[in-house]
Amino acid sequence: MNAVLFDVALTAYIVAAVAAAASLRGRRERLVSFVDWLTGAGWVCHTVSLAMRWVETGRAPLFTLAEAVSVVIWAAVAWQLWAERRYRARVLGAFVLPVVLVLGLLLPTGLRSMALPASLPSGWIWAHVGLALVGLAALVLNFAGALMYLIQERQLKARRPGTWYYQLPSLETLDRLTFRTLTVGFPFLTAGLALGVIWAVRAWGTVWTWDPLSIFSLVMWVIYALTLSGRAVGHWHGRRAAWLAVAGFCTLLFTLGASVLVQGRHGS
Amino acid sequence: MSPAEDRPPTSTLFVSGLSHHSAPLAVRERLAMEEDKLREILADLAGRGVVAEVAVLSTCNRVEIYGVAEVPAEARAAGFRQLGAYRGVPMSVIEPLLYTFTDAEAVRHLFRVTASLDSMLVGEPQITGQVKDAFVLAQACGTVGSVLHAAMTQAFNVAKKVRTETGIGRHAVSLSHAAVELARKIFGALEGKAVLFLGAGEMGELAARHMSEQGALPLYVANRTAARAEDLARELHGTAVPFERFARLLSEVDIVIASTAAPEPIVRVADIPAALAGRGTRPLFFIDLGVPRNVEARVNDLDGVFCYDVDDLRAVVESNLRERQREAQRAEALVAREVARFSVRLHDLDVVPTIVSLRDKLEAMRQAEVDKALARLPDASPETRRALEGLSQAIVNKVLHGPIVKLRDSSRAGHGRRWMETISELFGLSRRGGTEPDR
Repeated sequence: MNAVLFDVALTAYIVAAVAAAASLRGRRERLVSFVDWLTGAGWVCHTVSLAMRWVETGRAPLFTLAEAVSVVIWAAVAWQLWAERRYRARVLGAFVLPVVLVLGLLLPTGLRSMALPASLPSGWIWAHVGLALVGLAALVLNFAGALMYLIQERQLKARRPGTWYYQLPSLETLDRLTFRTLTVGFPFLTAGLALGVIWAVRAWGTVWTWDPLSIFSLVMWVIYALTLSGRAVGHWHGRRAAWLAVAGFCTLLFTLGASVLVQGRHGS
Repeated sequence: MSPAEDRPPTSTLFVSGLSHHSAPLAVRERLAMEEDKLREILADLAGRGVVAEVAVLSTCNRVEIYGVAEVPAEARAAGFRQLGAYRGVPMSVIEPLLYTFTDAEAVRHLFRVTASLDSMLVGEPQITGQVKDAFVLAQACGTVGSVLHAAMTQAFNVAKKVRTETGIGRHAVSLSHAAVELARKIFGALEGKAVLFLGAGEMGELAARHMSEQGALPLYVANRTAARAEDLARELHGTAVPFERFARLLSEVDIVIASTAAPEPIVRVADIPAALAGRGTRPLFFIDLGVPRNVEARVNDLDGVFCYDVDDLRAVVESNLRERQREAQRAEALVAREVARFSVRLHDLDVVPTIVSLRDKLEAMRQAEVDKALARLPDASPETRRALEGLSQAIVNKVLHGPIVKLRDSSRAGHGRRWMETISELFGLSRRGGTEPDR
């Protein structure tokens, strides 16, 4: 049943993504509302599906790659629905949903299960994974906002308005969106990673292990930390912040990729 | 007089008039009327009985008579002859410029005009209000009946729908508004954004005014002639600053509107780094309205600086116009759907008077026959009376059913007129005043 619900949710996301892309071509108010409604409905199904799996397995649905990706999607869609309202940037779906889809469609391709060794799930390991995943989801939005910023900035610099000029929000809005998603996502990410370190000390007696997931996680964390501190000092707004967000997201993808492809302590 | 006779059974909704499509300004400007003249015309047309309902729309781009009449051509001639007479324009000049639409075509025209699809500048918002004014005036003069009321009310609904569901009025089509729109794409809201206005060009003044209407604040004005700067600053509720000081202000302001007659650029690329140093990374937006240009074009290459000259703004306006055209096509499709929907209603409205007078006629017959029968039955019990009433009612309803259904169906199919005439003929239904109109 939870698998069926997940499929329903994923189908809703797919249709919503296509409709969102279509709505970019000339703002169709009804289409935009349809996307909004469909995304919301899909998200509700998704929530129920996750909850049912939690009840069924008696543990948080965070311990296989499939579950992890599912949670990232779930959180990303939640962030999207929030940000669309907060920033009146209703085209956000056209940028977030495709990312969500690529992640979602990887699920059934039967990627290697990342079940942790039986000895591991001590009471609060799920907090390490869960917090990191929710943070990652906010960073998906951070990336989407940065992408939109770069496109809009390019349009304005080129001085010849095209479709994007009309469809995308103002630079200022996009800059705020990028910043806000970073300030929301980064604490989650940090808390998640910090718990991981504490837990590693207790389980393995060491602060650091040279496995790929740890390495990429650290690189990613450093990039986001730099972006954030750069902004706080006051000079890294706009284009520079946007490019850093793109760089951060690339390492995020590497991090996810590393956890899939490379054997390491996290994976075995 | 029964309500059926308020309107002849074969009257037609029509619009007749001239607009910027058909008539030169020289004629339009003479026929545009003030309100009291319009009142006279409405009263006269309705009083003479050439129209059952009438409203007159008079703007600088169009003069149109909307009405319901048995013979639209007659109403059109009477209306425009009188309009022309007020201003000494002979009918021979007006006549060739006139167009007339009837029924669904008239509805389509009304919907398109109200939704600003027929405007000189497609999507301009004033026309909807002007149609509303015409409607309110006609209502005040008592010349609006059920058909015009339904048509115009629906026209306003359609106009609103067009405005909310399409982007027909969304983008700026003047240079000064395009500049404001660009500023909003960069800064989001303009509240609290500082503007520096250099020079005194008219278009620049307009842009500055639009920006302060949107909340841009403070507004500095610099001009080589200090007195001119003072005047402008007062007018725009801004602050005059000495012209020599403007370069220092660059680090403080967000938007610079340059509109001077200087023969060569007064803002140079070399000036910008200093202006950017003190401002963090808030963007800086130059609107260069000077010809020759006041700002070196290369400032646009600097990070966080945007510079649009007159040609760039024109390109934005052209793009906006194309966007409007695209949206206008969607609006046309929407209007077509609404016209089809309304035509059904209009046809129903069309046959209502015939149905009512048919019903009245049969009811009168029935009543007369029942009275006659009862006169012959002085001792009839209440039950008998009730039975007689019921029996006669049932027969009348059965007889009416066929013709009414036929009328509705044929009217919706577009040939209601023939059936209305046939039924009027068959049942001997009278027209208003009992006389045939002269054709």
